[in-house]
Amino acid sequence: MKNKLKNLPIRIKMTGISLAVNMLVFMINIVLLIAMNNMSDKIDTVYQANLQLNEISTSIKTVQDSMVEYLGTKTSDSLENYYRSAQEFSELTENLNYRITGSTLGRMERSIKNMSSLYLEEVGQTIDAKRGRNVEKYRTRYEEATKLYGYINTYIYSLNNEQFKENSESYRRMLDAFRQFEVAGNLIMVVVILTSTVLILKLTSNIIRPLRSLTGMADEVAKGNFEIDTIPVNSSDEIGVVTKAFNKMVVNIQEYIEKMRESAETERLLKEKELMMETHLKDAQLKYLQAQINPHFLFNTLNAGAQLAMMEGADKTYEYVQVMAEFFRYNVKKGTRTVTIGEELELVDNYIYILNVRFSGDIHYEKEVDKSLLNVEMPSMILQPIIENCVNHGIREMMGEGRIKMKVYAMDDTACIRIEDNGIGMDEETVDRLRNGRPVSDDKKDSNGIGMDNVYARLKLFAGTDDVLSIESDGPGKGSRFTIYLDIKEKRDV
Amino acid sequence: MRKILSKLNSITVFIITGVMLGLTGLLIFFFLSYSKTLSRTEQDVTYDKYYVMITDEAESSFWKSVYDAALKTAKEENAYVEMISNNLSRDYSQTELMEIAIASDVDGIIVTAGESERMTELINRAYEAGIPVVTLFNDNTQSERLSFVGVGNYNLGKEYGNLIIKMANEKMFPGNRIKVTVLVDAGSEDSGQNVLAAAIQDTIAKENGENAGRHKPIEVSLVAVDASNNFSVEESVRNLFVQGSTKIPSIVVCLNENDTNSVYQAVVDYNQVGLVNILGYYDSEAILKGIERDVIYATLSIDTQQLGQYCVDALTEYYELGNTSQYFTADSYVINKKNVNEYRGEAVDEK
Repeated sequence: MKNKLKNLPIRIKMTGISLAVNMLVFMINIVLLIAMNNMSDKIDTVYQANLQLNEISTSIKTVQDSMVEYLGTKTSDSLENYYRSAQEFSELTENLNYRITGSTLGRMERSIKNMSSLYLEEVGQTIDAKRGRNVEKYRTRYEEATKLYGYINTYIYSLNNEQFKENSESYRRMLDAFRQFEVAGNLIMVVVILTSTVLILKLTSNIIRPLRSLTGMADEVAKGNFEIDTIPVNSSDEIGVVTKAFNKMVVNIQEYIEKMRESAETERLLKEKELMMETHLKDAQLKYLQAQINPHFLFNTLNAGAQLAMMEGADKTYEYVQVMAEFFRYNVKKGTRTVTIGEELELVDNYIYILNVRFSGDIHYEKEVDKSLLNVEMPSMILQPIIENCVNHGIREMMGEGRIKMKVYAMDDTACIRIEDNGIGMDEETVDRLRNGRPVSDDKKDSNGIGMDNVYARLKLFAGTDDVLSIESDGPGKGSRFTIYLDIKEKRDV
Repeated sequence: MRKILSKLNSITVFIITGVMLGLTGLLIFFFLSYSKTLSRTEQDVTYDKYYVMITDEAESSFWKSVYDAALKTAKEENAYVEMISNNLSRDYSQTELMEIAIASDVDGIIVTAGESERMTELINRAYEAGIPVVTLFNDNTQSERLSFVGVGNYNLGKEYGNLIIKMANEKMFPGNRIKVTVLVDAGSEDSGQNVLAAAIQDTIAKENGENAGRHKPIEVSLVAVDASNNFSVEESVRNLFVQGSTKIPSIVVCLNENDTNSVYQAVVDYNQVGLVNILGYYDSEAILKGIERDVIYATLSIDTQQLGQYCVDALTEYYELGNTSQYFTADSYVINKKNVNEYRGEAVDEK
């Protein structure tokens, strides 16, 4: 039943509600009207009894008058009048109450009834006596009848009065009741109107509620929020249909958005893969290129060269190639590790030897080493780049004999390695630049690839302090001096 | 509003509607039944017998009290007693009322008859018409009346006489004689009153003879009060007091309620309180107040309940047994300052 109601179209629902409420109001109106009519009818009947009494009064007067007329004139007309009026009067009094009632009115009616019958009797006897010309008799009868007539009239008058009094009383009470009823009726109407208003509001809000939630959801969707729950549909009226469609639309949009997102994700993954592959390719190419200059390979080939030279009996060549192999092997082995001062010094020896072979003994290399410091640890590939710097920038550009002096000594807890050359020296600017760890030039054609900036940076990282390398020059033409300060504590156990 | 609405689920709405409709229905039902009860009168009650009471001075509280008692008794017997003069817009004489009652074909007549011939004739007419007549208070001995209900008038008179003697012994009176005036009804053919007055005179005469010297001699005079119309009683009573101080009686004996009230008022008006002593009749509220205020020395109260009751009893017995006793006598009491409160307390209790 309820579902059936729910499935009705809104138009019919609305019409139904208004019909129901109107019917309610109408029915109550009708009931009130009937009740009021009922009461006013009662008020009407109140005076009915008075009318009846008046009729009786008129009727008895006619009887009396016709009797008197007959007694006076003895016409057949008056006799006829008498019979007719007596009949009428008798009929009228017949309806009067004959019971002994609790109310005065009823008892008075009874008395009137009894007196009336006696009166009619007396009048009848009077008429008869008149007709029989019994003068004495009809006179006394007439007197009796007239007396009774007076009594009856008084009774009727009194009863009329009493009745009027009582009727007025009941009329007043009825009127009071009527007023009360009126007030109550108005109250009822107000209550009914209020109730029906509440009813209409409630019922329409029942109908409108899904529409309102639909609007709210539509608002959400309009703001771009598709993450909403579906609206429950519990009717299949117009709103139900729209709600269903809306739900479906939202779900579809959600699905569509999901699909879009998925395809975007796939595309992104594909692109990433492509990039990765490219990177890998580049890596492979690099590896390949690196492999070409692998120091192992170089070292092995040099070793092979050295063995060849030995077999051929070319000792100098052998030695040279051997030293070169050593030099490169150091690069390979110690490229990234910490080494000892001794190992660094050895590399410097080899380097100087190679340079001297290359530049036919131009460089005089002296060293003065405190042997106890040979095991002090330091980063690899430090001294050789400094020597290279000295050679490249100090000695090679000068005329005359180049000298490089290496001195390793202890100063308190610090192992100092000083490298001096007698080269062209450096101007202030170059010294500053070196001190600040900036490359002096980008000339790399003859270099091992490691610049002074690199050396300085690694030394600083190793020592954890800036005061690890001092670079001095007394000016152009007066040579330059590098001093490395190392903590002796970093001594390697041999 | 919306919040409240949302809280109302449909069930509550239906309940509210139902309750409203129910209330409306109840109200309407209530009013319909109320309007029905409005038009309903005592007509629904009916009685078997209809008796009529005819008294002079029907409006006095004495007769009212008698009537009430009669009505109460009658209702117990499923009969109704009516004081017909009360319902009529015209004032009729007792004989006219008798005629009306006979013409109305009532089941019984209670009448304060008196000994007039006309009354005898009417009572006999009623008797012929099959209507039993009970004479109340004033008998009509010549007629075919069924019973007489009254008080022992001779005893009552003796009682008054004794009260007068008591006063003569208690109080000091001016002059060389104690003047007693008994107010009697001028127009009355009432033998009862005569008997009463005679009894008073007898008692006083006896006292004067036996106990002469113990108090001043007592002189009893009868004064006729004109009760022929409504205002004449008052005039007659006033006449007593305007005739000069020497002629004003020391003791006034009233033999009905009206006289008592009039004399009481006159004594107050003419500033005779303490000088004129009243012996009253009946125990109306005004008279009791007079006793409390020492204006009325004492009053004789007749048991009106008994009077009323006996009238109806006589008629009931007549209808049940075909006959009843000829005489019914109601009790009487003396009420004075000593027992007035007591009496009043009883009266209140009865009510």
